[in-house]
Amino acid sequence: MKKKFISLALVAAMAVSLAACGGSSTSAAGSGSSSGGTSITIFNSKSEIQDQFVELAEEYSKAKGVNVEVYYSSDTVAAHLATKYAANDPYTLAMVDAKDVYSLGAEHALDVSGEDWVKNTDYAISVDGQVKGFPVCIEARGVMYNATAIEAITGEEFNPDDYKTLDAFTALLDKLVAGGMAAPVGIMKEDWSLAAHYFQEIYEEQDDPEAFIQSLYAGTADLANNQKFNDMMDTFDVLMKYNYAAGQPVAAEREVSEQKLANGEIAFMFGGNWDWSLIKDFDPSEKMGMMPVPQNTTDGSNEKLVGGGSKYFFIDSSSNTSEEQVQAAKDFLNWLVSDPEGNAFMTERCALVPAFSNVNADALDPLSFSVKSYADAGKLIDNYNYDPDDHYSIVGAAMQKYLAGQIDRAGFAAEVENYWSSTTPVEH
Amino acid sequence: MNTNTMSYKTKQFLMFAGVTTFIFCAVVIVPFLYGLYLTFTSWDGVSASKPFVGMANYAATFQDAAFWQALLRTAIYSVISVILVNVVAFILAFLVTSGVKGQNFFRAGFFVPNLIGGIVLGYIWKFVFNRALVSIGQSLSVGFLSTSWLATTNGAMLCLIIVSVWQYAGYMMLIYVAGFMSVSNDVIEAAKIDGCTNMQTITRISVPLMVSSFVQCLFLTITRCFMVYDVNLSLTKGEPFNSSVMAAMHVYNTAFTYKNYGTGQAEALVLFVVCAVVGVLQVYIGKKAEVSA
Repeated sequence: MKKKFISLALVAAMAVSLAACGGSSTSAAGSGSSSGGTSITIFNSKSEIQDQFVELAEEYSKAKGVNVEVYYSSDTVAAHLATKYAANDPYTLAMVDAKDVYSLGAEHALDVSGEDWVKNTDYAISVDGQVKGFPVCIEARGVMYNATAIEAITGEEFNPDDYKTLDAFTALLDKLVAGGMAAPVGIMKEDWSLAAHYFQEIYEEQDDPEAFIQSLYAGTADLANNQKFNDMMDTFDVLMKYNYAAGQPVAAEREVSEQKLANGEIAFMFGGNWDWSLIKDFDPSEKMGMMPVPQNTTDGSNEKLVGGGSKYFFIDSSSNTSEEQVQAAKDFLNWLVSDPEGNAFMTERCALVPAFSNVNADALDPLSFSVKSYADAGKLIDNYNYDPDDHYSIVGAAMQKYLAGQIDRAGFAAEVENYWSSTTPVEH
Repeated sequence: MNTNTMSYKTKQFLMFAGVTTFIFCAVVIVPFLYGLYLTFTSWDGVSASKPFVGMANYAATFQDAAFWQALLRTAIYSVISVILVNVVAFILAFLVTSGVKGQNFFRAGFFVPNLIGGIVLGYIWKFVFNRALVSIGQSLSVGFLSTSWLATTNGAMLCLIIVSVWQYAGYMMLIYVAGFMSVSNDVIEAAKIDGCTNMQTITRISVPLMVSSFVQCLFLTITRCFMVYDVNLSLTKGEPFNSSVMAAMHVYNTAFTYKNYGTGQAEALVLFVVCAVVGVLQVYIGKKAEVSA
């Protein structure tokens, strides 16, 4: 009997210690000025603006008498929210990706169709005819360049429009190599960058992305002979050839690559305007920007960045959130859009490209400025937001193999086709 | 006072084990049963409805090739790690009980890695493997060091094993130290007088008398290796090409990232059964080998 007690206690102790090891890192930041008024919680999923957001929460709490707490988690957004919903403790306001608004919105998001800001944006997300997602910013993907470094070698002004085609781009790369830049390109090996950002453009630049995705599900798409697939992979081959980490591309660390780009050791890297949050810490060159992915094509896609609204706030609609909290959350969103201080928070302090026509955006960083000018010129190709949740991981792994030279293009195409045809279509 | 009544026994049980039993039920038994129920639903982890789907999740588990690969990978990793951890720990324990100068300092030193959390440890070693070793290798032009091990499939597994051994060896060393200390000096002296060499004293006298230490160490290392997650996450994150995804990470991904909570839960159950069978078997066999002086 005694032995059983001891073993029972031991098992319990072990279970507790195991559970303690499995914690994920969630950091909270309270405003500290709880004045007995309404309290709302905000989930922020953009790590690069967490510090600014915490400061803002403190100021906002003092000014408006609403206790605002901002949380951040390094977990996948959907996974983190899942645990919060499982615990019946949802955030009042949650910042999520577009796909999460579609998957969670119907059940968990409040209808905000009547809000003032709706008419000022083209980027809000509606689910079943009701506006549910508040667009936090515009983000776009393309090739980031360091014009200062390029001009130092070529001696002439760098105009990205001259390098729309892969041929012209390759000629420039050769010129840079001849001019002393040993390897002018960086490639991020992260699966989200390869699959959800670069490869994703293959879907998004099809004539009809939805139809193309459906044919992938059905197994009828012939990826290996698809024009867009081959155009983009031709460009990827060139990027791989001039990659500074070509010897061991999957060991490249993102921070190192960003630093090289910022300092002009390399001139090009595929990415997005959010990369500025890393680049800005490395004393970047003065003239930087973003350009479309060069391709030998005439369909116009090599003149456009790919992107649109990114990260959306939604207000929790469950009974866990009181009416006062809902009102406070609505007020906060309106404040962001219509109050000069709210505007300054988004554009100046967080360097986000505003998704609202009434928000002034003169103080943006160079990458965001590029995005803004492409967006204003109507040169943005829409995001495709309905990938299955495991897409980035599995296609990303296949693309890492391609990057490491372990499979060829036909093998890669086959792996991607296999993935899609064995996956249950996402309803939307 | 009659100590043989039902009420006395119940009271005694509650007094000594009531709290732990309650906590054990609350944090282990109840979640376990609830998890069992979830394996029969197609819950996505967020939705309010949990549609009943019968055995579909178990069918999906058996068809999920990536899960079985991860499980096999975990088994290989565990076998190698468990052997290395215990060999290293045993040797360390022998060295720090043999009376070397400053052995308490060494004991503390070897134990320290165990005090660093797995996540931090993973990031530290990532730096070592990706930068430190690579720059040493390049400046001395040592071929196998000048590229990052983390970028190759076998290399990533090797790195995981190295880090696990470094992390656990110190902890297991303490248990073996206790084992060595528990062997009475009389027995050792008697063996010496009878003409045993040092080696014979260890293999014939010390080791058989400290089998319980081995049982404990093996149990702890096996279960920890099978459940490895934190080091896996921070050191390799499953890369390159998802080739270092261990079973626990695959379960987490399936349940939370890919939003197949039911299937993830079913896979977790399979992982639990595997761990339980291995653990119980090992303890059972170990107990049989125990002797007393």
